[in-house]
Amino acid sequence: MKHQCLSALISGSLLLAGIGKAQDMPLRQVLIEGENWEVAAEGFNFADGLSTDADGNLYFSDVKGGTAVYKVDLDGRMTEFIKDAPGISGLQWGSDGRLYACVAREQRVVVFDADGKETELVNEVRPNDLVVTHDGNLYFTMTPTSEIRRIDPSGKMSVVSEGVVTKPNGITLSRDQGTLAVSDHGGKFVWAFRIEEDGSLGCPGNYMEMRTPVADPEIARGDGMATDVHGRYYVTTAEGLQMFDPTGRMGGVIATPDPEEMLVSVCFAGPDHSYLYVANGGKIYRRKTKTRGALFFEEPKPAEAPPK
Amino acid sequence: MKPRFFLLLFTAFLAPVHAADEDYTPGPDAMPKEEVPKGEVRQHTWTSEIFPGTIRDYWVYVPAQYDKEKPAALLVCQDGGGFVRENGAFRAPTVLDNLIHAGDIPVTIGIFINPGVVPAAKEGQEPRKNRSFEYDTLSDQYARFLLEEIIPEVEKTYRLTDDPKDRVICGNSSGAICAFTVAWERPESFGKVISHIGSFTNIRGGHVYPALIRKTEPKPIRVFLQDGENDLDNLHGNWPIANEQMAAALKFAGYDYRFVMGTGKHSSRHGGAIFPDTLRWIWEDWKESVAAK
Repeated sequence: MKHQCLSALISGSLLLAGIGKAQDMPLRQVLIEGENWEVAAEGFNFADGLSTDADGNLYFSDVKGGTAVYKVDLDGRMTEFIKDAPGISGLQWGSDGRLYACVAREQRVVVFDADGKETELVNEVRPNDLVVTHDGNLYFTMTPTSEIRRIDPSGKMSVVSEGVVTKPNGITLSRDQGTLAVSDHGGKFVWAFRIEEDGSLGCPGNYMEMRTPVADPEIARGDGMATDVHGRYYVTTAEGLQMFDPTGRMGGVIATPDPEEMLVSVCFAGPDHSYLYVANGGKIYRRKTKTRGALFFEEPKPAEAPPK
Repeated sequence: MKPRFFLLLFTAFLAPVHAADEDYTPGPDAMPKEEVPKGEVRQHTWTSEIFPGTIRDYWVYVPAQYDKEKPAALLVCQDGGGFVRENGAFRAPTVLDNLIHAGDIPVTIGIFINPGVVPAAKEGQEPRKNRSFEYDTLSDQYARFLLEEIIPEVEKTYRLTDDPKDRVICGNSSGAICAFTVAWERPESFGKVISHIGSFTNIRGGHVYPALIRKTEPKPIRVFLQDGENDLDNLHGNWPIANEQMAAALKFAGYDYRFVMGTGKHSSRHGGAIFPDTLRWIWEDWKESVAAK
């Protein structure tokens, strides 16, 4: 009964909100006229795993060719942040100040502390990309086995979704961290799940439909994902960087910097986390925007209303 | 004083030509009348399986004239909360009371449904709003939700006709394209559509309907479309042009349709103001249809 009362309250408030109030979010709410992609780092084989810290420094890997976790600071200087860490496909800072990583090549999920010391969390897995909630739940995609797995704060691993997303790849959260969004590399949807109180996933929905290539109308090649402070979702695809509003409606497609190369990872970093960074083949590009990235190592917050 | 007087004259002169959105108001058919018996409206909550985990409110209107020996006609409205609101643009229960009493429309049961939300699991989190997914998607999922979940639930208590000619589906904006999609997918279940400020635009691919209508063997659906010259023009499309396209396609394909273009905005006001006449038109044939049975 409690649940029903709550439901009545919620839909009652939706009713008051009335029709037509869901805000339309065109690309011009995000892009700045005259600002285009610029190279932020280059010389890699296959850059991936873009991630940021509280200051806006950028971290990433070279999943095919590199041997390190690289860092680009706010002055644009690149360094090897963690040496001898090859084959990483996904990275994210946790609220505990540690850097979590999918080591695809070694089929492990690990965490690096501030000194770069590695601790293995799980092995014999096929991790692609990950997200870590503020309360320390780590969710990662297993693209070849159609699974999403969770590692809880005690280190215990469980399968939280299997067979729902064909090839689960990119993974992000709503800004309030109540919804998990996962892109499909072998389909055309970004799926939304509710994160239940016990950390399991419920209520799957093929919430966002990605644009697909004319020649391949069922497969968008959804890959890396990010979220901004207004609750918009971003996903890299064969057609470009696609942006969705918080209700799952596509807002537009941002052009790929180099369409000859695959667009595989996206994150907000730089000053105020107001730059979009993408991994596009051997290069990382960035572009200034009117928005800021949502940071999941921070306390969850409701999505902000965008400026009129 | 003089300029103001002139201004007054000027606006009075312009008013009938360029009716502002606010000039559309509910008429006498939307006002309760002492001699007209009142139907009953009851609110319910539904947890869906077809839209996993979603919950929503819906309201069932049962007219005073309902006779359990005779199946009632059916009106289903999306964003239903707005349709049943006593001081809203539609005031559907009162309109139904008046029109049924006058014999303009058959004895009709109304189902007014809100879109679903996936409630938040924890305090401080927001529900996932499922309205756009349910309403804007071109598929039979929402039709199945109505036909396999909501309508059977209402039929546990009330008898409804299964004749599509006496089953109307209605909505505004995304709720309107949703109503069209239900009839398009299930014309054997819904034979009449009322669309106000319909979003036949590319929110989730709905702009293709005019093209589909022109190249599909006509379906037995009677369609009412309303839009306003000042409706939206945004990233998803241009609403007046999209509705013109819908009307032209329905005309080309030989549908039984009516299109009303006003001067309103993306609001319920115009659709609400003319709602009684819209219901009379959509049910124009109801006495013949009953006589034929």
